[in-house]
Amino acid sequence: MAKQVVLMVGTKKGLYTLRSDADRKKWTQDGPYSAPAPIHHATYDPRDGSMYAAINMTWGGSRIDYSRDMGKTWQKSKNPAFPEGSDRTFSQTWHIEPGHVKTPNVVWAGTEPAALWKSEDRGETWQLNKALDDQPSRAKWVPGFGGMGLHSIAIDADDPKKMQVGISVGGVYTSTDGGSSWVQDNAQTGGKEDRPDVFYCIHKLLAHPKTSGVRFMRVHVDVFWREPGETTWRNRTEGLPTTFGFAAAMHPRDRATAYAIPLHDTERTAVDPGIAVYSTNDRGATWQRNDKGLPPGARLESVREGMDTDLLDPLGVYFGTANGDVWASRDEGRSWERAAQYLPYVTSVHAATIE
Amino acid sequence: MTLDASTLREALEALVKAHPSLAERMRDEHGRLRAHLSLFVNEEDARFLGGEDATLADGDIVHVIPALSGG
Repeated sequence: MAKQVVLMVGTKKGLYTLRSDADRKKWTQDGPYSAPAPIHHATYDPRDGSMYAAINMTWGGSRIDYSRDMGKTWQKSKNPAFPEGSDRTFSQTWHIEPGHVKTPNVVWAGTEPAALWKSEDRGETWQLNKALDDQPSRAKWVPGFGGMGLHSIAIDADDPKKMQVGISVGGVYTSTDGGSSWVQDNAQTGGKEDRPDVFYCIHKLLAHPKTSGVRFMRVHVDVFWREPGETTWRNRTEGLPTTFGFAAAMHPRDRATAYAIPLHDTERTAVDPGIAVYSTNDRGATWQRNDKGLPPGARLESVREGMDTDLLDPLGVYFGTANGDVWASRDEGRSWERAAQYLPYVTSVHAATIE
Repeated sequence: MTLDASTLREALEALVKAHPSLAERMRDEHGRLRAHLSLFVNEEDARFLGGEDATLADGDIVHVIPALSGG
């Protein structure tokens, strides 16, 4: 069967899907599902073909939905639930991460209030990760501008027991035992100051899907890289036009290539000469601006889950914007075509490569 | 639907028993009614009738109305 790409596009008013063949020239659009609910994130699980969506309703409460038939029908998970006696209440889901191929029924979720949840039944029920919840340093977590969420779950390519989570504002925690215990993991090299405590506002933390130990991290201020065996975060911001941004992606085959969309640190939009995707092919040592096809001068914005890649060759790179556009590159991020426009505010883009 | 209940709380419990998927839509994990849910008994706001302890008589009509809020 020919390969397809399905873009799961979360917006402030429902989930849309864009579908194309491997050429990725023409896109057909379906949706919205569950409008007017804001969808912070939606993802596809290549292990079994499930889809998951973070449905963040104000009325009726937030929930996580899953689909076993490529989005034709959806079912509701049993909500994440803080234990009796907790002073916290599940508010919304920031991220859903399919587990490692070696743990076939495991799916992870990060929520607000910041907490990590594990499902061992393909997303039907969720259990609180108590080891992270019991961290004494949790008392120091504070909300960022978007709330206090756990939004990044980075699982190592080789070993599912090695993982990180990223929290706004709570920094990075690392586990080497599948989440049974955690240590703070915020030491950096090459930055302006050493900030080893929880006060990093992580914006996105990614694990390379093929190469064990490689990480790319987009923080409120600065971007960082980690190579296998390293225990600090190497500052790799030099060469980017600003230190701020949200959207980040890694090349699924080339372990030295990643993508970022820099934004103005207070205005939260692209700076002159307009929005662009910056790419590195040397682990962040240098950055190249890629804006061919993008509207010159456009002060667009792409948020935390706003960018992803497919698995095709040449690589497809995708990002969504606050003004309802989805942009697609069929040449590894060098040039861009609009795949959709006039959608609601795009909050997430996930590219599923379907065999 | 017609329910057998002597208080508003009992009516909500009977409603959830008949439609279990409403449980998480009406209450959070600690059993608190969700903030965007309004309850009325015979078109009177239940907050002024004792909340979930409001008593019901034969023929009383309860409305459960989720407030559609947001942008």
